[in-house]
Amino acid sequence: MARPVFGRASVTHLDRDRGLVEAARRDRQQFDALYRRYLAQVYNFAFYELGDHHAAEDATERTFLAALANLHRFEERARPAEGEGASTFRVWLFRIARNMIANERRDRRNHPAVAIDAASALPAAANVEAGVVASDEAAAAWRAVAKLPADRRRAVVLRFVEEMSTAEIAGILGKSEGAVRVLLHRALKSLGRELGR
Amino acid sequence: MPGRDTDVDALRTDRYLDSLLAAADRHANDVPADAAIDEPLRSAAARLRRDLVRVHPSFRFEERLAARLAGEAARTQLAPAAGAEGSIAAIPVTLDHEPDEDEGFRPLLIGGALTSAALSIAGAAYVAWRRARPSRLRAARTTRQRDRERSTAARAR
Repeated sequence: MARPVFGRASVTHLDRDRGLVEAARRDRQQFDALYRRYLAQVYNFAFYELGDHHAAEDATERTFLAALANLHRFEERARPAEGEGASTFRVWLFRIARNMIANERRDRRNHPAVAIDAASALPAAANVEAGVVASDEAAAAWRAVAKLPADRRRAVVLRFVEEMSTAEIAGILGKSEGAVRVLLHRALKSLGRELGR
Repeated sequence: MPGRDTDVDALRTDRYLDSLLAAADRHANDVPADAAIDEPLRSAAARLRRDLVRVHPSFRFEERLAARLAGEAARTQLAPAAGAEGSIAAIPVTLDHEPDEDEGFRPLLIGGALTSAALSIAGAAYVAWRRARPSRLRAARTTRQRDRERSTAARAR
């Protein structure tokens, strides 16, 4: 019996960013459209992970520069399970961001003098950047999230701030969808205990 | 490794989150209820949806990075374009020494090679023509005659 071929031809739906990615591959100046689409999302992820406006900008900048330089390596691998609106480009971009942020956090551990209090940084920066009034409750929620183990914290930020699907988060964290669901479930249980005190 | 109960609970929580976030997208005030999910967990999810706000980078940062990316894009696109106007051709060259394994042919941009060759041929033809054609000026004829005598004397020595 012939084995099914899983190549580009078998992709059942298109990455929503396919047109933009192909345009950027033909003419790199067209990368600007992808940049504008995902800038805020990448910045948010970096900001929640690093808790500092300047560090988030640095990580965001490195992420987009790396994405532009390596765009020729990106392969579209949209799967039906990822849903109609899935973007494998977004998953790829966030994997780069995750690595950049991890490097930044590692540098901070090696240079503790520059570390800041992430929990207090979020409401302050949110006031400046987005005009959001920070409340004690919001600060408490962020502090509780910041205390979670790394994978749970990332999963929570990607699910609640970026509103990503479990499949996309699985792609970014390099885990199965089942593992991501369990991460989120356990994170919410521990946050429920922490915030209910 | 998570047990079966945890997997089922995690799946139920995931579906609850889907409906919670979809309600937020619709700006719906009603929060979906699922009696099978613990109250503290539902409360934590609602709280995170409300308190984990999105922040936006500054406009200044956005435009500065956009300009840097445009510069990088232009730089990486110009690099291959610098030699792209000609095609690569293998031009055999005669060597006085024993050639290395990969030295027999030298790739050149064909446009430049043809221009160079054309100039060389034209120059050689002009010199040959001038040598074969005696000048009408007496001074020039005298100068050439002396040059020929001098080189003949040098060869004889």
